[in-house]
Amino acid sequence: MSEAIHIGLEPLNTIGNATARVDAVERVTGEAKYSRDFKLPGMLYAQILRSPHPHARIRSIDTSAAEALPGVRAVITGDNAPIVWGAGSVSGGRQYNDPTKDATLHRRYIFNNPVRFVGDSVAAVAAIDRHIAEQALALIKVDYEELPFVLEPEAALEPGAPQVWPDGNLCPDFRNNFEPMVSNLGDVEAGFAEADQIFEERYETSFIHNAQMEPRAAMAHWEGDKLTLYTPTQGISNCRHDTARDLGLQDHQVRIVCNYMGGGFGNKNQNQDADLVAATLSKQAAAPVMLEFSRRDDWLGVHGRWPTVQHYKIGAKNDGTVTAIQMFGYSGMGPYRKNSGGISGMDVYACPNRLRSISAVYTNRTTSGNFRAPSEPHGFYGVESMMDEVAYKLGVDPVEFALKNMRRPTDDQPFTNYSLEEVITRGAEQFDWASRRKTTPGSDEGPIKRGSGFSFMMFRAGVGTSSAIVRVDAQRQYTLFVGVTDIGPGAKTTMGMIAAEELGVPLDQVEVVAGDTDRCPYSVGESGSRTTIQTGYAVMQAAKDLNQQIADSGMPIGSDVLIASATPNPSTDGKTRQCFGAHFVEVEVDTRIGTTRIVKYTTVHESGRIINPTTARDQIRGATIQGIGQALHEDLLYDPASGQPLTTGYYRARHLTHLDIPEIDVTFIEVDDGYGPFGAKTAGEAGIILAPAAVANAISNAIGVRMTSLPISRDKILEVMA
Amino acid sequence: MGDKSKTDTSLNPKQRSRREFLENAGTTAAVATAVPVLGISAAQAQSDTQSTVSKTTIQLTVNGSRHSVDVEDRWTLVEVLRDQLDLTGTKIGCDRSECGACTVIMNGKPVYSCSQLAVWADGAQVTTVEGLASGGQLSPVQQAFVENNGPQCGFCTPGQLMTATALLSNNATPNADEVKQALVGNLCRCSNYNAIVEAVVMAGERSGGAA
Repeated sequence: MSEAIHIGLEPLNTIGNATARVDAVERVTGEAKYSRDFKLPGMLYAQILRSPHPHARIRSIDTSAAEALPGVRAVITGDNAPIVWGAGSVSGGRQYNDPTKDATLHRRYIFNNPVRFVGDSVAAVAAIDRHIAEQALALIKVDYEELPFVLEPEAALEPGAPQVWPDGNLCPDFRNNFEPMVSNLGDVEAGFAEADQIFEERYETSFIHNAQMEPRAAMAHWEGDKLTLYTPTQGISNCRHDTARDLGLQDHQVRIVCNYMGGGFGNKNQNQDADLVAATLSKQAAAPVMLEFSRRDDWLGVHGRWPTVQHYKIGAKNDGTVTAIQMFGYSGMGPYRKNSGGISGMDVYACPNRLRSISAVYTNRTTSGNFRAPSEPHGFYGVESMMDEVAYKLGVDPVEFALKNMRRPTDDQPFTNYSLEEVITRGAEQFDWASRRKTTPGSDEGPIKRGSGFSFMMFRAGVGTSSAIVRVDAQRQYTLFVGVTDIGPGAKTTMGMIAAEELGVPLDQVEVVAGDTDRCPYSVGESGSRTTIQTGYAVMQAAKDLNQQIADSGMPIGSDVLIASATPNPSTDGKTRQCFGAHFVEVEVDTRIGTTRIVKYTTVHESGRIINPTTARDQIRGATIQGIGQALHEDLLYDPASGQPLTTGYYRARHLTHLDIPEIDVTFIEVDDGYGPFGAKTAGEAGIILAPAAVANAISNAIGVRMTSLPISRDKILEVMA
Repeated sequence: MGDKSKTDTSLNPKQRSRREFLENAGTTAAVATAVPVLGISAAQAQSDTQSTVSKTTIQLTVNGSRHSVDVEDRWTLVEVLRDQLDLTGTKIGCDRSECGACTVIMNGKPVYSCSQLAVWADGAQVTTVEGLASGGQLSPVQQAFVENNGPQCGFCTPGQLMTATALLSNNATPNADEVKQALVGNLCRCSNYNAIVEAVVMAGERSGGAA
């Protein structure tokens, strides 16, 4: 096996040592129970009927034949289940909460009329087995009046474009102003005036489905007025709260159970319409209901990364100093705004004149939402492709260009620590950047061309609140209660390691109880790379409290236990806290057939102290490979004439397979900045941010042509090389 | 369909591909849409607590245990394993031969159990992820997955393990390229491919193929 290189800190007793997951055996023996693996007596199976049209008004729905089919126990539509899925459409794409729910103008129901994309939910059925449920769907007669539709964000803003909502296609912000999101620093016009040269380019990125291996499933079970949901969620606490709010219940009336879940990468945040549909069917049928999404249901009915168009204008001096950065962006949100539509990246540059205007736009495509680093990979691809082009046009090494122009700490804005220069220079040295890159892009003779690219980033690693409870009994067995779910990064293990370290006991003396809102306190949820920092810090504080109790009153005896809980809300004392990274990649492009092969891939990250080197290594490697897929392959293509999605699945979206995968070299520069649990920072999203930019830059370095549209698929390479 | 499936050879799933069979099943449902009365036959009206579609009894051996199961013609092998035999370790990721999460070993070969009709498995020897460990001992490839973080979310893991086990029984000490070739039909969206390949190579090196 290949281990990551660690530089800077020595391992502690538990933390910093390569550690197998505490639930690894369950995961390799099939014992691990995922949501769809539960079965209750009398359980019904449910399916959802989805719109075949990109935009249509429902004149009528006739469910009588479906209801008459033997074995069918419940049929629901918008008529008898007018339930708002709050987290499915939020004002300004903000985190869902009570004020957001009140502000939201364009609400998404669990069933909508009009339907606004192919795959929008129309009705749902529960039956005694899944095949009868499927049969019943085919018996539901829906009379649709087809409406005009629009698929592309720029086209949606043209005068006369089909209207997804009556107020127009520009998404409102959280104050319900129908304006783009604008961030304006300094004076870009002055910056352009100061420049020796101006560079402009349009970049485009595709919709990327999260494509987690586990299709969505939810089992609902009512006992009196208490609802239990076995559902794959990235946050049991926010899923419970959202579900209670949407169904008019109190939090304590909802229990969320999620012991294992098959990935999410952002599309299992909060609650989902599947949870509400299963709960409603279960209530109506008076039986437990298992709602299972097919792969196509999941591809269309959940969400993926928003497609974007980015128009850049850069001013630079001949010495390589950037004087102005301007970007007008458009993000295609589908017909419901689940998230911001952000396009990040330009803020890693120090240039004082920066203007960014992003229009989040409604379209009749499937919904866009969070995908691992929601605003970053496409934004970094745009801005760092742009800067790479500027550097080569000015005759400057892109690494030198970055070191000259990147953001650094200032007296006004100190950082908790700063490693950006170190990750870049160390990466360049390990990769042998100086000799691998083509000083003149596209200079290889012959049809097979090699080239190298680079990208760099900093990314939020802020602190925040969560809770933890830790208990010890007279047998000195420790139990840690944390509301994490393990979506893949290994949170249960990480939390156990932090507790073991602070308690001063071996990891196997700490049992970790997670994934159940009736047993565990609040946790922020496995999103935004926050669990290790926030919940990990709460674990550390609860363990400190328990240590103090043990010091004060001794170990418990008999049937007594000692219990400590903590809900810290730490700050960074006004300092900016970031993780840092740089990626270097060499590619080989066969210009005769348009294929790109990764020859070498070097990553260097500073994510603070690494808790578990094994899982941290694979967060970086896996996220990087996901980013390579975004760079080269993945897209949700639509037929412009019919509005039908064409690439709804792994095969058609051309997901990477074992044969496509290069070795990803990982180096961690470890630092303890004094914040977070033992100095840990973000890692889960870090790897994916840089891969599309680095791969795109490498391809351009190989072929000598700037590639301005993701994915850089074979057809696009053949087109520019023709 | 009803009893017809027993007599009309054109509806005998044993003689047809799953794709053809499912397409025909879809047509049947579409016809029923137009003529709803087809949906409530006298036989079905007698009891709606279980499906009254005709069943075929199949014999199969799963992880060494013999089972006799009455299966509907439209059931897939993975449905029988998960729903009838409660072997939920085998996962359904796509249900259409794209992802490999449902891989089991059938008569010595790795197959996508989502794309095998249950009736085709009549008489088969099937091994699932639950059958890899013996006597409380993980198999070498399971052990290597534990040590080298083979699972991230773990949903593709059973399928990866089954294909890897089949590989190791044919090639005791595969190199990384051979592992990639063999496992190409098993997707991992966590993209934990490096760790999976390392684990399989390690298992081969350690055990000399006694996986």
